[in-house]
Amino acid sequence: MATEKQIWNQIQSTKNIQKITSSMKMVSAAKLKGDEGRRMTAITFNTWAEALNGPPKIIEGATFEELPQKVLLVPITSDKGLCGGVNSFIARGVRDCVQKLHSQGKEADIALIGDKGRGPLRRGMPEQLKLSLTEMASPGNFTTASAVASELIAAGAGDYDAVVIMYNGYKNAATYHQMYKIITPFSGEGEDEPLLAYEFEPDTKSEVLADLHEYLLTSQIYHSLMDGAAAEQSSRMQAMENASKNAGEMIDSLTLRYNRARQARITTELIEIISGASALEG
Amino acid sequence: MMNSLRQTLTRHTPTLTRRFATTESTGLMSLNFNLPQETLYASAPVKSVVVPGAMGEYEVTADHVPIVAELKAGLLTIHFDQGESEKYFVAGGFSLTHEGSVTDIVCPEAVKVDDLDSAIVQKNYEAAKAAAAAAEAGSVEAAEAMIEVEVNRAMGNALGLALA
Repeated sequence: MATEKQIWNQIQSTKNIQKITSSMKMVSAAKLKGDEGRRMTAITFNTWAEALNGPPKIIEGATFEELPQKVLLVPITSDKGLCGGVNSFIARGVRDCVQKLHSQGKEADIALIGDKGRGPLRRGMPEQLKLSLTEMASPGNFTTASAVASELIAAGAGDYDAVVIMYNGYKNAATYHQMYKIITPFSGEGEDEPLLAYEFEPDTKSEVLADLHEYLLTSQIYHSLMDGAAAEQSSRMQAMENASKNAGEMIDSLTLRYNRARQARITTELIEIISGASALEG
Repeated sequence: MMNSLRQTLTRHTPTLTRRFATTESTGLMSLNFNLPQETLYASAPVKSVVVPGAMGEYEVTADHVPIVAELKAGLLTIHFDQGESEKYFVAGGFSLTHEGSVTDIVCPEAVKVDDLDSAIVQKNYEAAKAAAAAAEAGSVEAAEAMIEVEVNRAMGNALGLALA
């Protein structure tokens, strides 16, 4: 059994950790405000893109049957850890999606954003992982998003039948869902011609469409980054709250053990004194 | 003053847009003007918008045909119902006019023309011109400097500066 001194040290270090986790929780709560605000403007900004691509769907339980033959998955994970399950949920979603696509005879490659998804994906599916972008400045902005979009295009995003962004969609401070959105290139002729109802300016439609696609991708990435950042922050807040609570419980049980050990020591000492005294009397 | 005006506009938006749906010919269009970091107008009822298209300026009014336009750096003017107008300098982006008199304008960056400093524009223009002259013809630097010159010239025009 641990000595009184050892238990005391353990209590002190647990208290220190509790201080760290509870201040991390407070920092996350403050940062979440900013992330929520940026998410709201990003949603408004992205309205036009969502109108063209359709609303994002939930990964959990999805069959991915609507995806075309060859897709590029872009999972968005965080660079920093200590944020609960955000990144492992995304990694699991990606694994699930790749498996389902393979069983449907389709191909999928992965271009990963964020450091924390790299571990599980590199272990699980190294041959699909084509690109990984890490160490993004936080909070992200539109410039970050356009840098990511041009990296993706440079990596041949245009050769795929669709780009699928997978990210954590923030719902409220306690919940988030893993979502995916499909961005298909503007292609097709005749009746399938994209944006048939619209005139184009300049009237070189194919060029404008190429630019529009790039801008659309940037806008969607921007929105996903902001949504992911808010989810990450809320998840970190939750995780740190739980950690602080657990630390509190641990401190309580350690204190109990410490007091018992102390009591046992005092009792032993008392017995020694009493028996010493009675030996002298006798 | 403009800020308070904008607040007034956004506060009245829901009622006005609802009226759109019933009576088609109010002569107003609904404008969404968004930057990544800021929402400037969200379904605001305006009379028209003059957009700096890549091939030249054009004006969008109510019941305009659906059009997708790539924007260049230039002046974007919003005309309100009461004859007032607001001028922005946009850095590019896209303007999408949909059916039903709704226009989405999405720009990576835009500033009010009043917030531009003409002295700095003048200075940047000269610097960019010098850089363009110094850069090797056909190089990436020359192209970048040319863009810089164009943008600063457009900014100068928006401010009414006479740039050589």
